[in-house]
Amino acid sequence: MLTIENLHVRVAGKEILKGISLTVNPGEVHAIMGPNGAGKSTLGNVLAGREGYEVTQGTIEFGGKPLLELEPEERAAAGVFLAFQYPVEIPGVNNTYFLRAALNAQRKQRGEAELDSMQFLKLVREKLAVLHLKDELLHRAVNEGFSGGEKKRNEIFQMALLEPKLAILDETDSGLDIDALKMVADGVNAMRAPERAFVVITHYQRLLDYIVPDVVHVLADGRIVESGDKSLAHRLEEHGYAWIAERKLAGAA
Amino acid sequence: MDASLIDAFGTGDAREREESWRYSKAALRALSQQDFTEADEQAPLSPALRAQFEWPQTQGRRLVFVNGAYAPACSDTSGIGDALTIAQAVDRRTLLTIAAGFGGTLHLVYANVPSAGATRWQASSEIRVLGGSAHVVEQHVGEVGADVLGALVSQFQIDAGARVQITTLSDLPDSVSLYRRTQAALADDAVFGGAHAILGGRLQRFDIGIALAGAKARFDSRGVFALRGRQHADVHLDVRHVARDTACDIVWRGVADQRARGIFHGAITVAAGADGADAQLSNKNLLLSPHAEIDTQPVLEIYADEVKAAHGATVGQLDERALFYLRSRGLPLEEARRLLIGAFCRSVFADVTEAALRERIETLLDARVLAGGGGA
Repeated sequence: MLTIENLHVRVAGKEILKGISLTVNPGEVHAIMGPNGAGKSTLGNVLAGREGYEVTQGTIEFGGKPLLELEPEERAAAGVFLAFQYPVEIPGVNNTYFLRAALNAQRKQRGEAELDSMQFLKLVREKLAVLHLKDELLHRAVNEGFSGGEKKRNEIFQMALLEPKLAILDETDSGLDIDALKMVADGVNAMRAPERAFVVITHYQRLLDYIVPDVVHVLADGRIVESGDKSLAHRLEEHGYAWIAERKLAGAA
Repeated sequence: MDASLIDAFGTGDAREREESWRYSKAALRALSQQDFTEADEQAPLSPALRAQFEWPQTQGRRLVFVNGAYAPACSDTSGIGDALTIAQAVDRRTLLTIAAGFGGTLHLVYANVPSAGATRWQASSEIRVLGGSAHVVEQHVGEVGADVLGALVSQFQIDAGARVQITTLSDLPDSVSLYRRTQAALADDAVFGGAHAILGGRLQRFDIGIALAGAKARFDSRGVFALRGRQHADVHLDVRHVARDTACDIVWRGVADQRARGIFHGAITVAAGADGADAQLSNKNLLLSPHAEIDTQPVLEIYADEVKAAHGATVGQLDERALFYLRSRGLPLEEARRLLIGAFCRSVFADVTEAALRERIETLLDARVLAGGGGA
């Protein structure tokens, strides 16, 4: 589904990703862990198509097609979704209106029929229930005045509504209390399916107790330095990221 | 009243020297090089022009002015009753007196109808509100054609305890230039609120002069100019707090695309002795093209003690983070831009309580600002 090969990315003239290769198959959940500044969020942003990230080398294929040639909205229509680390507040833009416009824009691009407001509201109610989000949030402006936890749950709600093929969760767990974390995890787990893949970017192993990954990668200094099964996350939690750095040094020596 | 206004405006000689015209000098000069003849006040109105102002909601309460002159044949005053008196004087001068029992909306329409060559008109209205509450919708429309230059002075006298809300909607073709000067004097406890949309036009100048002369008088002003092409709008507010415990709250926004030019000047003066004044001014602007320009100048002068005052002005571009957020959810770039620009403009009209009128303004904003999407 997603094949990243030897990806090098610069931000503001500084090389952040230094040759990443990663293959994600349908149905899999990949966790990307790593210390601050390792390039985790850069990877998420490059996949979603944010400006300001210069790919100097390497390729990304999604569904057999080159992803980097697509505009952000084309990537969304193709099935890429990024749950933002810092969801943006957009005053004056109604949440429901925005979500319906987004869903219909995607459907239109895929040549599917657009949903009318009745069909859309029915879909919204189904998805809201899973995330325990209040109806009232839908009538407000996008993320405006939402608490940190509400913003993150709103991201997962959007994901549930848009039903992407590949969902990238960028530190969705940061700033969440244990209840909100469980709700987010429930939302994600409810969406796990043989045709859908997840890339879960996180700093802590805690989230991975609830969203159990198939593969765990450790990203340090712009490279994947270690990959393994879910037990890798536990070992990291025990030893800390310094342990990885030491192993890396040992390997290089 | 002020018969020289249009001359000064048309030739630019007198006012060009004034500081208040500094950003509009070039636009004025271009106008002053044209020869304007008197506009035809008998000019017929096309069905398309009529359709712009014949709203079902204001049927029976509509006064239409053709090139500045009151045109009873085009107006519909069947539902106005006794609470409004209309008097005509020379020089296209109209006197309106609104009594306490009026209520509801009065729709004033100024139609700019071109002739073969460039034409001009000047008119004035004096509106006295004796009490109660009145809502005035002032609408400026125009036919595409040869240049028209109009000037309108509106003088409001708002008696003690009266409340007046004015909504102005000026949506003009690029061949029409309009100079409006709205002045109001507020007595004790009087309230004057305004919501203004300035769209299109070659040059639109709008001066608002307010004297908060009575204790606890209050002035609220909301407005947007949304410009594209080579449109030019110049808005000047001049609010004077004279009496005690007076308040003003000014929120204006501007959007300029392509090579458009916008100017906002908001001056608030709190006179000596006007203690307890509360003066708020906010002006935010959005530049959608590297060739567009907006100049904003808030001016606050305070000569009294115990005053609460705040002002802020910004000129910026569309929020790239918000744009990416919307696109990452599947909205095409143009649609994402429309959504953000529309939200920026519309927020100003949230207080317009008549839903039909608000929707009308919003639809016009969407159509005028976003036609063709802009693009840098």
